[in-house]
Amino acid sequence: MALWRSRDTAYRVSTAGVWLRRLGVGSGLALLAALYGWALQGVEFDLFSIFKYGGKFFELLGRMYPPDFSALPQLVRPLLQTLQMATLGTFFGALMALPLVVFGSQLVVRTTLIYWPVRALMNVLRTIPDLLYAVLFVAAMGFGPAAGVGALSFFACAIIAKLTSESADNINPKPIEAVEAVGAGKLHVIRYAVLPQLFPAFIDHVIYVFELNVRVSAVMGYVGAGGMGMQLTTAMEWRNYPQVLTIALLIFALVIVIDLVANRIRDALVHGIGLPGPLRLLGVGAVVALIVWSFVSLEVDFARLARGVEYFRNLVWAIVTDPATEYFSLAVQRMVQSVQIALIGTTISFVLSFPLGFLAARRHAGMPQSVAIGMKQIPNIIRAFPELILAIFFIATFGPGPLPGVLAIAIHSVGMLGKFNAEIVEKIRKEPVEALQATGASRLQVFRYAVLPQVLPEFLALFLYRFEINVRAASVLGIVGAGGIGSLINEAQSYRAWDIVGICLVVIIPTVMAIDFVSARIRRKLIEG
Amino acid sequence: MAAPILRVRNLTVIYPGVRPVKALDNVSLDVYPGEFVVVAGVSGSGKSTLLRAINRLAENDHARIEGEIYFDGLDVLRASRRQLREIRSQIGFIFQEYNVVERLSVLTNTLVGSLAHVGFWPSLVGKFPSYQIERAHQALERVGIPQPRHFDRAARLSGGQKQRVGIARSLLQRPKLILADEPVASLDPITANVVMNIFKKINEEEGITTIVNLHDPVLTFKYGRRIIGLKHGRIIYDKPITAINRETFEEDIYGTVEE
Repeated sequence: MALWRSRDTAYRVSTAGVWLRRLGVGSGLALLAALYGWALQGVEFDLFSIFKYGGKFFELLGRMYPPDFSALPQLVRPLLQTLQMATLGTFFGALMALPLVVFGSQLVVRTTLIYWPVRALMNVLRTIPDLLYAVLFVAAMGFGPAAGVGALSFFACAIIAKLTSESADNINPKPIEAVEAVGAGKLHVIRYAVLPQLFPAFIDHVIYVFELNVRVSAVMGYVGAGGMGMQLTTAMEWRNYPQVLTIALLIFALVIVIDLVANRIRDALVHGIGLPGPLRLLGVGAVVALIVWSFVSLEVDFARLARGVEYFRNLVWAIVTDPATEYFSLAVQRMVQSVQIALIGTTISFVLSFPLGFLAARRHAGMPQSVAIGMKQIPNIIRAFPELILAIFFIATFGPGPLPGVLAIAIHSVGMLGKFNAEIVEKIRKEPVEALQATGASRLQVFRYAVLPQVLPEFLALFLYRFEINVRAASVLGIVGAGGIGSLINEAQSYRAWDIVGICLVVIIPTVMAIDFVSARIRRKLIEG
Repeated sequence: MAAPILRVRNLTVIYPGVRPVKALDNVSLDVYPGEFVVVAGVSGSGKSTLLRAINRLAENDHARIEGEIYFDGLDVLRASRRQLREIRSQIGFIFQEYNVVERLSVLTNTLVGSLAHVGFWPSLVGKFPSYQIERAHQALERVGIPQPRHFDRAARLSGGQKQRVGIARSLLQRPKLILADEPVASLDPITANVVMNIFKKINEEEGITTIVNLHDPVLTFKYGRRIIGLKHGRIIYDKPITAINRETFEEDIYGTVEE
């Protein structure tokens, strides 16, 4: 009897718990609905106009067809320039990143006095979006590929440093102790215990950033930083649509080829997939040749580059110490819109890539191999189109405003979310699935209780990660007219009002940092549970 | 004697591939209600395949199952998908690796056992009938998981506790037959005995027919009342425990270690 009573109280306690939880879930949902309502209104999201003017998008594509290949000879040089800028940008970026990684690693530097400032610098560099670097470097060095190389170097340095130092936090500390134990100095420790362990991860990240840089380099010309983007801008301004398509196709082809080659190099260098000695040498030789060729052909003027970096520093210093504070509230307002654009864009992308994750997963039960392989190509193709080009197309369709930005982000992000969602689904444990099948549960029940609980937290973590990236993208898409704080940067740039660009930096950097921080916290909670 | 609850005739299971593997070769057996059967054999003898063929889980590994299997008079191998689900819902299956969904709570993992009897939409939104929830609490208490832990995530449990949840899950099915595939192979000896005792108790108190795969001879002799010895996919023994000579049994089943 006593036993029954005690169980009864326990049950009542748990029902109270259930009600509390329901209340929590309810208010959470209400909050979420309010957040989305606010964001949808902020980006002027309007299904009606999407349907009404959506047709114009295809009309636009129709006017681009057939592509105009007669201009091809004039386009070869800018295309090569794009590749050269990306190469040099990655090269310098990697060189600059190395000291940051080494001195920002807690394993090497044990004084917080050095460790924290280096980490802080890395984080600040990381918050500035790619195109904003381009705007600043064009301001410092004038139009042309030199500004592009400068901007790409900083952009590459920021990402390589961030990713590699994350790898550095996970290296094995024992060899470091071993080298220290024999009485070696700090530099020896770095040379014999840290760098050898770090090398594969470092090369992996450098190659990844090179792939990114090719995409960025292809559009940077939009703000005057050389390469293919300049041709794209001109063609767009002249409404020479067949040429626009030609340029887009060339960029697409370049990105695909670079991705393929980069994957080969990665296999050889990082995964150590057996290559005969001579072929390895040939590969290294090719990379060196690419760098040298880029140097020679871009006619890098070191004096000018150094002067440019000097200018750049002064410019950043001036605009950060003396920003146009009267524009602060406007900048904040536009930044809020950028965040809204990122939120809605990423959410739409999440909805689109959710089914794609299952359709493209090779091991997911009931999916024919051929369908999965076909579906896998969708994200790959989408990823090859830089966001900015999508944004330009959507602006031509819907007119300037935040909506094209939302759509560009929504489509482009499918490239990453679809790919990684599929990888998550491929990784799930199949034992719980069998347990559910063994109880006689239906297919949908198996999905709901064995598959979904395994993948959903990872999907959401990935969503948040992409949101972080998209906040950066959304703060510069305005430069081509797609709303948000970028539109302010665009206006400021055309009046050469650098103090306004300064106030934008002052607003963007802490916002992005805060979002990164909170989002990383939630992601860790989601994954660790 | 009553009719057998499980009737297997000329069961042959082949895993296709470049070199097809015949995991079971012409196996026949009858299991009667209330029996506690231990299937003994080394790894690769076909124990798992036998259990996984009975509820056709082996098809997940693309196995080709030939012969006849009747569960409670129902033809398992010719059952439609729907009929198969109905059959599966009456057979509790216990896995070596527990197969709990780590991110779900202990209680939900147990309730999964009742899915076949819960409406489609309520089950999708996670709403279970309150009497099933009450049964789940009772099943968990019964296998030795106290109430305060029922709302914990399954990931926080130890191996032995996860296996208890696995048993509670199968109890919720109100099974007529329990199939346990190496249920204690991943557990330490003491926990293994605790879990085996739970099987024994369920079998004795509720008369649920139980078939357990074991590779450990000590546990086999301690708990088995009828022992089926498998070797290279064939039955070489099928006797009550009393009729088995322990010395020769071990050599027959496990062979001798060559020095």
